[in-house]
Amino acid sequence: MTGTITKEKITDILRTVIDPEIGINIVDLGLVYDINIIENQVDVTMTLTTPGCPMHNSITTWAQRVIEMTIPDVKVNVKLVWEPRWTPDKMSEDAKLQLGM
Amino acid sequence: MMDGLNSVASAYSPPFRIVAKYFVATIISFVVLNLMLVLNYLDISGHHFQPKILSITHIATLGFITMIIFGAMFQLVPVVLEVKLFSIILAEIQFWIFSAGVVLLVYKFWNFGSGLSFTLPAILLNIAMLIFSINIIASMVKVKSWNITGTYLASSIFWLLTTAVAGLLLSINLDTPFIKISHLQYLKLHVITAFIGWVTMVVMGVSFKLIPMFILSHDYKLNLAKWAVILINIGLLGVNWIMHYPDTEFYNTFFGSLIFIGMLLYLVQITIVFKKRIRKKPDIGLKFTSVALIILSITAVLNFSFLFFNYENVINLTLVYGIIFLIGFASMLIIGQMYKIVPFLVWYHKYSSKVGIEKVPMLKDMFNETLAEYQFYMMIAGLIISVIALSFQIQILLLTGFSILFISSIIFALNMIKIFRS
Repeated sequence: MTGTITKEKITDILRTVIDPEIGINIVDLGLVYDINIIENQVDVTMTLTTPGCPMHNSITTWAQRVIEMTIPDVKVNVKLVWEPRWTPDKMSEDAKLQLGM
Repeated sequence: MMDGLNSVASAYSPPFRIVAKYFVATIISFVVLNLMLVLNYLDISGHHFQPKILSITHIATLGFITMIIFGAMFQLVPVVLEVKLFSIILAEIQFWIFSAGVVLLVYKFWNFGSGLSFTLPAILLNIAMLIFSINIIASMVKVKSWNITGTYLASSIFWLLTTAVAGLLLSINLDTPFIKISHLQYLKLHVITAFIGWVTMVVMGVSFKLIPMFILSHDYKLNLAKWAVILINIGLLGVNWIMHYPDTEFYNTFFGSLIFIGMLLYLVQITIVFKKRIRKKPDIGLKFTSVALIILSITAVLNFSFLFFNYENVINLTLVYGIIFLIGFASMLIIGQMYKIVPFLVWYHKYSSKVGIEKVPMLKDMFNETLAEYQFYMMIAGLIISVIALSFQIQILLLTGFSILFISSIIFALNMIKIFRS
């Protein structure tokens, strides 16, 4: 399995996780800080746009589940961090356009 | 793995069924309020101290505005301040006592001469508000990191209780007169604490948390917000104290000016938050909110102007003010926020367990945005027409304005039903 899991693949999977309020996926929003893969263990470090966001666990659960559902036998750990704090410049150009920036 | 996470929303939010009750009662009250306006447009004229006007004012302030504030606070205080709600059972009991109090009080004002005493509904409402205050304060004492929203909410609870006690005294005075200063003077105090101390303070406090979250605002300081809450509180304390004495015009103007400056500081502060937004395209919730905040600035100027002339001598001016505050500011703001909060609540209740397993909707897809846009423009049109009609005393125009507002309230109710059923 290890050979087939790449950062790019996980990133693509995480693009299906969409913030239900903003309507943009968490990768383009710049919420995914790091993806670390060791054998069949995937550790995702991510943040949210606002500390105390009530969507908190829905989005992190979504991120974890979608990886587990797409890649069998993988172990996923999603770690939510508030440092460094999310800033708008972490967003992709597409996301900025969608928000009217 | 993640399901066990001790996240803010899952760990602290009260059950959906509790909050949903308050939200459903709010929607019903809003439609009833607008229907009452249409059915009684002929009575809405002249002095504000009239049975039908008092009845309509109380379904607006209690059944609609306070009901939604209660529901929203049960949902928001745990999330914003990261504490668990002290008691869910108290929130449930409070709902039934409060609802009974609202229905009885609105009925009693409507049928002024009926045998029911004013004091009974007032006692029920005071009990419900006391339960609410205990529940929120007992939750707040566990807060580890205090923020400006907490200061606003704590202040608003103090003013809610002040309003409630003043209401109780007024109700006893209606049954058996005992208040030494005039009933109308005391009523003024009741209105000021309700409108500014309770409703506006809650809105201000919550806005510092919700608005930046919705418009993705970053890199701003809340220094003005701190001064605003201090000035408004001092001003309100002063006005409440001064009003018990005769010939205090100077002090009244002084404390009233403090409130005005505090409101201006708030408006400047929230403008700064808006200017720092990343999300430039406003959605429907934000359109309602923005218009409501613009109208708040109009009410602030009206409040200030009332310090310098006897506004009760200008025909319908207090009614114009009431409509602008209740329909223009409070209703527009509440509706805007409900278009954001209700989809979230229902989404969280129905879909949060399904994420990653099946397709889940986006929040804006849970209601008809085109209908909400119609509602938005109809409310503005209805408000402007009603204000013109009241100012120039044109009854047929007032019926037109209220009818447009009523249709807009039906659209709102249909959209809310769609969200709950999605």
